[in-house]
Amino acid sequence: MDFWSLFGIKKHEGKRVRFRDTLRSIPIFSELGRRELASVERILHKREYAAGEVIFRQDEPGLGMYIIETGRVSILTDQSHDNMTELGDGEFFGELPLLDGGSRSATAVAKTPCRIFGFFQPDLFSLIERNPRLGVKIVLSLAAIIGMRLRAVNERVQTLLAQGAPPAATGRRLRPKKAEEGSRRQ
Amino acid sequence: MNPARSLVLNRWLAISGLALMILLILLVPGVVKMIVVAFLLAYIFDPIVTAIEVRGLSRTASTIVFFLFVISIAWILFSILAPVVYNQIQTMRSGAGSRQNSEVILRLQAVVRTKLGFIGLGTVNLQEKIEQFSSYLSDTIVDFILHEGLSMILYAVTVPFLVFFLLKDGREMKKMFIGIIPNRYFEFALDLLYKMDLQLGNYLRSQFTDAVVFGVLATIALWLLGVKYFLFIGVFAGLANLIPYVGPIAGALPAVAVALFDAGDVTLALQIVLAFIILKLTDDMLVQPLLVAKGVHMHPLLVLLAIIIGGELFGMLGMLLAVPATGFVKVVLQESIVTLKKYRFTD
Repeated sequence: MDFWSLFGIKKHEGKRVRFRDTLRSIPIFSELGRRELASVERILHKREYAAGEVIFRQDEPGLGMYIIETGRVSILTDQSHDNMTELGDGEFFGELPLLDGGSRSATAVAKTPCRIFGFFQPDLFSLIERNPRLGVKIVLSLAAIIGMRLRAVNERVQTLLAQGAPPAATGRRLRPKKAEEGSRRQ
Repeated sequence: MNPARSLVLNRWLAISGLALMILLILLVPGVVKMIVVAFLLAYIFDPIVTAIEVRGLSRTASTIVFFLFVISIAWILFSILAPVVYNQIQTMRSGAGSRQNSEVILRLQAVVRTKLGFIGLGTVNLQEKIEQFSSYLSDTIVDFILHEGLSMILYAVTVPFLVFFLLKDGREMKKMFIGIIPNRYFEFALDLLYKMDLQLGNYLRSQFTDAVVFGVLATIALWLLGVKYFLFIGVFAGLANLIPYVGPIAGALPAVAVALFDAGDVTLALQIVLAFIILKLTDDMLVQPLLVAKGVHMHPLLVLLAIIIGGELFGMLGMLLAVPATGFVKVVLQESIVTLKKYRFTD
């Protein structure tokens, strides 16, 4: 046992390193350096949720994305009440409002006690103002992810059209899929 | 520790801290004034510190650089202006004794004695009354400086100290505040705080810049007209301009009084009135549309009430802070209502 560990410093340092690794594993932050990750970490909001607690509701204004440090989160829609997806440690959800500030397209509920970090639009704007280089890196990564998803949706439309589905039906089938919620770690 | 239990503990600690702070504020009312002034100044100067931060410095280093810059400017201004201010106080203390001045007062006295004799002013000695008032005024100023010296020093030390920490740690303080909001309302609170920050920041900075511009223009105009104590009156006019409607008139009055009673020059008094009318028009038509484009619109009656209440509670400083404080409350209420409508808290 060394001197600093007596004060719990090493323990926190270890936790911090682990959390930075989690952050780096998220596509939006994967291109960032150590100092840049530290800047991002400073603007994150740490929240703790009990099992069954709602994180956000469908159709409410969205302010940004959440990163799960520990716990499991269910993503549901009001129409079906079905589990669209379930997310765990290191995964993230609700990233579209970070760019457009639009409303939530699904509801997120903590399935187990969760420790979650929120990354919100006002803090991103403030970061862009203070450190434009870092801000542009994050926004470009976000744009790349959204572009990738748009490509996937286009391919899906093409496939459905090729199978002979009428355009209206294609649109209906696609609606739940274009939800921004529930992104899995790549 | 269990996350839910640590959250409850954190919340209780934060609430206790907040209650302790409120108690302290209520027990020591002077603290309220200091905090309000520091808070407003921190809001006004925040973009400057952020602009320094953009150059690659940390927040702490940026705040230190900003403070060093402000201290240097204050020192330069002090060394230039202190002798001028000292001379102006000395002149004020020596009284209104010029020959031209005495002639005007004697003429005025003759008019008062003949025209207003029927109300008991037939034997009034205007010269003596004015000298008494002038001496009383200068003695009051000197007394104020001597007696309030300690509290002024306390202000001069505490307010910059508070501003420093609000500028340096304001972001963390905001984050801490957001941290104690329950999960259900936290995104709403963050949204609200961000919008308020934006609106309030714009409003306070525009008011401050407008006061500085008006003060500088008034000082230059009074200096060009050759009015005595132009520096004092100019600064006063700038500050008074923060108070709508009555401010510009209150700002012009001392200059007109000096022209009439000290210099005994009616033409100068008229020139000052004209100068203030031009200044006010310039302010309304050029400066304000540029600066206060996103201003907070307030009903004149509300503004007047705020000024009266501010004056009753905190005197002159209260009158000056009444309008920004009312603007703050209005922005908070307005944004709360708009943002609240978007969230489904009844579910």
